Amino acid sequence: MIRLWLLGSLRRRAGRLVAAALGVAIAVALLASLGAFLTHSKATMTSRAVHGVSVDWQVQVQPGAGTGEVERLLQDTPTVAASVPVGFATSTGLSADTQGSTQTTGPGVVLGLGAGYQRTFPGELRLLAGMLDGPVLAQQAAANLHAGPGDVVTIGRAGLPPVQARIAGVVELPLADSLFQVVGAPPTAQRAAPPDNVLLLSQDEWQQDFAPLAAARPDLVTTQFHVATARALPADPAAAYTAATRASNNVLARAAGAAIVGDNLAATLDAARQDAAYAQVLFLFLGLPGAILAALLTAVIVAAGGDRRRLEQGLLRARGATARQLTRLAATEAGVVATLGAVLGLAAAALVGVAAFGTVRFGTTTGAALAWGAAAAGAGLLVALLTILVPAGRDARVVTVAASRRRLAAPRYPLWARYGLDAVLLLVAGLVFSATSRNGYQLVVAPEGVPTLSVSYWAFAGPALLWLGAGLLAWRVSDLVLGPGRRVVAAALRPFTGRLYATIASGMARQRRPLARAVVLLALALSFAVSTAVFNATYRQQAEVDAQLTNGADVTATPVPGTTPPAGLADRLAAIDGVRAVEPIQHRFAYIGPDLQDLYGVRPGTITRATALRDAYFRGGTAADLIHRIATEPDAILVSAETVKDYQLSPGDPLTLRLLEGGSGRQVPVRFRYVGVVTEFPTAPKDSFFVANADYVAQRTGNGAAGAFLIDTGGHHTTAVAHTAASLLGSAATVTDIATVRGSVGSSLTSVDLAGLTRVELAFALVLAAAAGGLVFGLGLSERRRTVALATALGARPRHLRAMILSEAAAVSIGGLVAGVATGASLSLMLAKVLTGVFDPPPSALAVPWAYLLGALAAAVVTLFGVAVVASHLARRPALTLLREL
Amino acid sequence: MTASVDARPDPVVLRAASLYRFFRAGDEETLALQGVSLAVAPGEILAVAGPSGSGKSTLLACLAGIDEPDGGTVTVAGRRLSHRLEAERARLRASLVGLLFQSANLLAHLTVARNIQLVRRLVRGPVATPVDDLLDQLGIGRRGGAYPAELSGGELARAGLAVALANDPVVLLADEPTGELDLATERAVLELLRARARAGLAVVIASHSPAVAAAADRTVSLTDGRLDP
Amino acid sequence: MKPDVSITSAGGPSTDPTSTAAPSMDAGPAKAGLVDTTLAETSPKRTVPQQAVLVDCHELACTFGAGPSAVVAVHGVSVQIRPRDQIAVTGPSGSGKSTLLHLLGGLVPPTAGTISWPGLGGHPLGSPGRVGTIFQAPSLIPSLDVVENVMLPLLLANTDPAKATRRAHAALRAVDIGFLAARVPDELSGGQAQRVAVARALACRPRLILADEPTGHLDHATATALLTALLAACEQTGAALLISTHDRAIAGRLSRQWVMRDGGLVTASAAADPAGQVTR
Repeated sequence: MIRLWLLGSLRRRAGRLVAAALGVAIAVALLASLGAFLTHSKATMTSRAVHGVSVDWQVQVQPGAGTGEVERLLQDTPTVAASVPVGFATSTGLSADTQGSTQTTGPGVVLGLGAGYQRTFPGELRLLAGMLDGPVLAQQAAANLHAGPGDVVTIGRAGLPPVQARIAGVVELPLADSLFQVVGAPPTAQRAAPPDNVLLLSQDEWQQDFAPLAAARPDLVTTQFHVATARALPADPAAAYTAATRASNNVLARAAGAAIVGDNLAATLDAARQDAAYAQVLFLFLGLPGAILAALLTAVIVAAGGDRRRLEQGLLRARGATARQLTRLAATEAGVVATLGAVLGLAAAALVGVAAFGTVRFGTTTGAALAWGAAAAGAGLLVALLTILVPAGRDARVVTVAASRRRLAAPRYPLWARYGLDAVLLLVAGLVFSATSRNGYQLVVAPEGVPTLSVSYWAFAGPALLWLGAGLLAWRVSDLVLGPGRRVVAAALRPFTGRLYATIASGMARQRRPLARAVVLLALALSFAVSTAVFNATYRQQAEVDAQLTNGADVTATPVPGTTPPAGLADRLAAIDGVRAVEPIQHRFAYIGPDLQDLYGVRPGTITRATALRDAYFRGGTAADLIHRIATEPDAILVSAETVKDYQLSPGDPLTLRLLEGGSGRQVPVRFRYVGVVTEFPTAPKDSFFVANADYVAQRTGNGAAGAFLIDTGGHHTTAVAHTAASLLGSAATVTDIATVRGSVGSSLTSVDLAGLTRVELAFALVLAAAAGGLVFGLGLSERRRTVALATALGARPRHLRAMILSEAAAVSIGGLVAGVATGASLSLMLAKVLTGVFDPPPSALAVPWAYLLGALAAAVVTLFGVAVVASHLARRPALTLLREL
Repeated sequence: MTASVDARPDPVVLRAASLYRFFRAGDEETLALQGVSLAVAPGEILAVAGPSGSGKSTLLACLAGIDEPDGGTVTVAGRRLSHRLEAERARLRASLVGLLFQSANLLAHLTVARNIQLVRRLVRGPVATPVDDLLDQLGIGRRGGAYPAELSGGELARAGLAVALANDPVVLLADEPTGELDLATERAVLELLRARARAGLAVVIASHSPAVAAAADRTVSLTDGRLDP
Repeated sequence: MKPDVSITSAGGPSTDPTSTAAPSMDAGPAKAGLVDTTLAETSPKRTVPQQAVLVDCHELACTFGAGPSAVVAVHGVSVQIRPRDQIAVTGPSGSGKSTLLHLLGGLVPPTAGTISWPGLGGHPLGSPGRVGTIFQAPSLIPSLDVVENVMLPLLLANTDPAKATRRAHAALRAVDIGFLAARVPDELSGGQAQRVAVARALACRPRLILADEPTGHLDHATATALLTALLAACEQTGAALLISTHDRAIAGRLSRQWVMRDGGLVTASAAADPAGQVTR
């Protein structure tokens, strides 16, 4: 029976099946492409996270265990690619005689680096002055001791005479936090900050100096092996984390207490794992509404054939079909629609993949793409079952044969409307939003020390409920305006529809359910388009800000630290083809009390030519205000918030800093006045620093040397310009361009390239917006072809028909646009607030892609009116068959 | 016809005993059937007359086991049809009862022959008459491959009858089967029904057409859910 | 194709008794009532020149489709309709009754022959309200209530809404269903819906009413009552009435009979005088 039925359906009404399948296909395509993209993003997160780790494991030899034993153990471990011993010894203090004075520090740490350390772990040390070959001071220690290359440092040893070392260079330790971790201790038991006074020796020297100490005071000396692993990790951050943890646990177990492992790789992957979970929520938030919309569209398409289906079900029941047989029939039909939809949807997803990523696999593995395809097809089946089987099953149970041959009575006010579900949803959305906003939108909580993230999924409930509640509210308002408010509608129609205004209004009043349905779908689709577009644009804007903040400008050229760049370099840089502006920035070190901080000297009049300064970087005034103050008050200085707190500064307070001159260690006291707080500044580090007037600094220190050049290229040809600049500055200098930086900055989440996702989503949103209005409205009209034919037979002229049809189109458009834009706008605002934590720095304003939004609105309205115009054109000559049915 | 059914030698194939049916719409309660009893013998054509809304359609729905009477019983070929599970009623209906409506007797997306085959798939057990023979008997032997939309009014009426008879029923229930037909077609349909009745089929026709009443063996008349005395 | 017979309504009456249905038993008293109503109306509301031809057609034909699959629905029909004509068109299904009505109402253009509406002031679709149409199937617009349905042709004919409302209510009262004014079509029985359709056709005070099987879905009593109401209204307004039907009892109550077969008009007869006036 089922086969006969289906063959007949395919032969005679394939159009309906295909229409329903298209709705399913949209859902499948959206989920498959977003899912594949998510997998791709996760793989990117893993590789980025791993890329940032230098030392994978820090294996610490336990007291009483032999170093050789641990070394052999590591050599026998297949996952270990290289291991280098590093000695850690606690010194009672470092001291140095420079410029006729003696500086002595508090307790410090002396490291003994095994051979090839710098080659094996290039990310751990960054040379600032001198060279690496020999004893090297960390930057803070060098500052404390006023020591530089060539100076002699005395190292205190507890209970033993001090030893001396001649300094070869000064380095920065970018990964000091993990380097000086308490191995094996939980995040909460880690030290608050890495040690200030650090000296690095070769392993041989260190052995010579500290083997005696190790014998006398074993508690002050430890040995670690720094390990680089093979890093054969799964692409998914969670799986990679598990794999990394298992590998280090294996070492831990085999060491049997001889060593403990500090697993930097797993710690970083743990954070990436959390980011991935976050990305998943984002995926759900951006993908689910689209899938729900597609499901709703399918439901509307299927419901359009509802009367016919009820009639046929009634006939089959009269002929002796049981409810179960009818259900099976509907299930099979749903299966056919789902299969067709899945095939079409996956094909569309593959096309989207080719268009957006150049590959059907979205840059992910074949397995993951297949898994997502299967999951999306499963969702398509669910949509088909929900939209076809459920109504059919309901009818099979409820509708008697007699009733199926009668028109169903007017539907009652839906249950949700009577209980005010829309208001409840909006209220809960508001409550959730205010609750999450009270903890400062801390969607991502990052405790000090260990970079672990936790995600507040709950915050997404706010926008989700807002979306649903707004949809229901749009239904209720449409229902109210078109129904009880029909006089208002009639008055509004009066200028356009001649004598028919009241008739059209009351016709619309009785057709208000399908019209309200069209309004809701249009509103939901538009709000989806609006919020997605605004979120994506803001995301892109902030990623750009982040990249620019990190790199400083389109291209940043940094001469060798401590050297004075040759005169006229700025002009030669400006002469490079494609360069629009070059802005020198001074970079100095300055002492405030015992603290050493970076100081940036800027030219307030021209700084904004090469880089963007955003209000979010500053506190106590806008960017323009504070830069203006630096211009008008040369001694004005901007200070970090932490420094303001630590030194109890109030605006206007004088502040005397000792500025350090390059490698010489000479300190020059300069008087400034504190005027405002700076939290971020192009090229500046994330922690504390100063921003002051460059001319003032140059005048007071007698040195105007630029520490960096910010080059504006208008965003184009950055790589080429960087290349030319590098050749001008010489190989020792650093030249970075924003394109390279863009790919590596920020947390792994914000650094994920959303461009592909954006294209996919915006295209889907556009299709949905156009389809929602046009399709739903068009189906409503086709159900009323008889009405139109009747009106013609009763003497309606084309203008009458146009008035009737276009009035409905206008009602749906206006309702859908107003509700859609309002919902989309509030959704965007809420989403931007909720996601404030993702953005670093937070956006000062939402980026609104006007062109796309107007395009989406226009697409929806044009489709709708296109359908209306075609319909009223077709209605001019009523189809003869319709007339004969009258 | 005034002969009592009980006096006939043939057994009764369709019997309804004091059927009651209520409908509730809001606060209003309508009594669609108020103690209707009737019996039909094989080979008999019974016309049920009565104005619109007198309960004819409800009576037919109860006799077919589509609707469940609130009181009373329906028996077809000795098997109780009322007060059973829906699935059991459907199975009995599939093998014992044929239904003919005023219009839309066929599924629009299937040919006439496939419409008949579909009905036969619902019957458990074999059906004697081949599809072509059935169509031949009804005078549309060459239209089996046509879709309902391609048939003329007369052909459509015959095709509807073919589908109603597809399961070789013992009882045929017809609800205004000739309401939309012209006189010639109405006469032809009634003749076909008479021929079937001669072969032992029991026929109940709800209709206000005088031609139907004339063709029937017996006419009962329904007013406000009661059989007129 | 040549028509077997071509008879204009002004032509001589066919008096063959076999082609004229005997009046049914209940038609007698109804006719008496009709006469009373007519007598009660002292003057028709609209004065129509008695002999003005409303519809004039010559060798009218309508073919659907083209080539070998073409169907000739109507051919060779030459008739005239005058005010106060009461004509029944009978014939088997598919004989072209509906198409003829659609042609006469201007809803379908003829594929051959000529048709004009001299007494209606031009093409009916160009001058709405002159022709009232009643269809076989439920023809009310489901999204409008009864009054709005009845008003619609008036509004389409550019009548002032207030005046249209008054006339719609009057038309409903005229067919005794004033109490249905606020209902929607779904709440009506078949007979009530057809009465509303009659009221809608009458509301414009048309000069010609075309009714296509108006009683096809109704039981006999309802059909009789509907016809009585329709005839009474036509008497009052002086409109011509053309009904297609296969119910002989209905056809018998009209003064003139047209019989169609295979798209052609085969016989015409009148129980009335040649001028088409109703016999008193």
